[in-house]
Amino acid sequence: MTARVHKLINRPENLVDEMLEGFCAAHSDIVRLVDKRLVMRAQPKAPGKVGLIIGCGSGHEPAMTGWIGEGLFDVNIAGEIFAAPGPALMVQGIRAADNGGGVLICVSHHAGDLLNAELALELCEAEGIDNVDMVLLYDDISSAPKGREPERRGTAGLFFVWKLLGAFCEGDGDLAAAKALAEKVRDNTRSLAMSLSSCASPVTGEVMFEMAPGEMEIGMGLHGEVGMGRQKALGADETIDLMLPPLLEDLPFQAGDEVLVLLNNSGSLTLMELFVLYRRAAAKLAEAEISVYRSWIGPYATTQEMAGFALSLCRVDEQMKALWDAPANGAYMKQL
Amino acid sequence: MSAIGAQDLSALIQAMAERVAAEREALNRLDAALGDGDHGTSISTAFAVAVEEIEALEQPSLNAIWLATAKALMNRMGGASGAIFGTFFLKGVATLRDADRLHKDAMGALLAAGLEGVKARGKAGVGDKTMVDALAPAVAAFGAADEFASAWRAAAAAARTGAESTRDQVARQGRAKFLGERAIGQQDPGATTIALMFEASHLWWKENKQ
Repeated sequence: MTARVHKLINRPENLVDEMLEGFCAAHSDIVRLVDKRLVMRAQPKAPGKVGLIIGCGSGHEPAMTGWIGEGLFDVNIAGEIFAAPGPALMVQGIRAADNGGGVLICVSHHAGDLLNAELALELCEAEGIDNVDMVLLYDDISSAPKGREPERRGTAGLFFVWKLLGAFCEGDGDLAAAKALAEKVRDNTRSLAMSLSSCASPVTGEVMFEMAPGEMEIGMGLHGEVGMGRQKALGADETIDLMLPPLLEDLPFQAGDEVLVLLNNSGSLTLMELFVLYRRAAAKLAEAEISVYRSWIGPYATTQEMAGFALSLCRVDEQMKALWDAPANGAYMKQL
Repeated sequence: MSAIGAQDLSALIQAMAERVAAEREALNRLDAALGDGDHGTSISTAFAVAVEEIEALEQPSLNAIWLATAKALMNRMGGASGAIFGTFFLKGVATLRDADRLHKDAMGALLAAGLEGVKARGKAGVGDKTMVDALAPAVAAFGAADEFASAWRAAAAAARTGAESTRDQVARQGRAKFLGERAIGQQDPGATTIALMFEASHLWWKENKQ
């Protein structure tokens, strides 16, 4: 038996369009909606700069619409719920983001996102649109072992790529330099997520997977993909103590490193819980002599009402710190 | 000698669309165990769009019909399934060129080109718990038969057997890959859709062309 969760929506088939209309109406100073599915900057960036786009499934708000704006992305191409947009829409997004400096397609590694980006690149080639490239991004250490990083999924930790790459593309770097920077941030970023509950698909109204009360799973993906197995739910400190060591070992993050930290709320955890979790993470990082340059706590990439979080770390150097501190103005990512 | 003309090909796509729509909830239930639980909804919506766009074609050639189906699946469905089902149709288009009738071997070549495209795009082979498990045996059975009626019959049976074989498999591609052993016992919804498409084609042939 599966329970039904009542969602305050209208018809599921109109959900994505209605959500985007509402989002863009609420933030009309930052974004505008074009052709129903392209969320673009209200003020395009200067000519000659590299355009940044991402196509992704909807249902993870505020990702990625909240990341369109100055110092961030140029265009988000919104797909159906949990399904990347098709190649024709991707090509429309590429054309819209082209300021004359080329366009970089950022792919958060999931099968659909990658396949549709590849198809879009083939269409671009056929249509004579050049100076377009893609970068494959991943961060979730539970989805493939060390040594097989390119098989890993893209999850909440790509937050760091979005922010740093967005800042970089306000500068004069070209497409190849932008791609190299994205890869550098990716290769210094690691994430691990956990979940206490499932969530309901807004399309079907059914819960996406079963999870018994009192259980948790470490390593679960953004769509309930299996992680390291179910176990009895633990307290905050014990949970961090289970998650942080594998995360540190994977890169590895070492004494003397400086890091950015993200605690991403998957949906329905309380801020109170996240602060308690952060307290322990900060203490353990200090114990390992890893210093925190900046930290962020909040719902940046969600999966409906799933109760859980991801812990993400990004090792930074002086260039990356400066990019972090550069201004950004998206509806859900602001840096003064 | 029997052949498939443009009108037949539209009717064939329509038969597939109707069969997939009828099984929408069953496909959603299969997908709930392995994915988001919306495969039935998304593929039936995309097939319905394909039918509309074929009806709207000014020059409904074989080529245009197959391409319209590819585009509808790719662009209306999105996700990995849209890319892969779309690729199945898209890669067949080149084999059609400006043909106005398809004999059995040409139909077989169309299906085989689609299979090769799907395998390349999804990097999946037989045994990976994907639509290839239904599509590969169906294309082989179609090719081995010597006329349409037995080709469709054999392909439908092979696709169904192939789809059912995915129950015992661990997924090696797509989102279900991350379910590991939890995927065992669950039939792949993409492979099931392929079986429905071939069964619809077989029934359509039997009722309209035999």
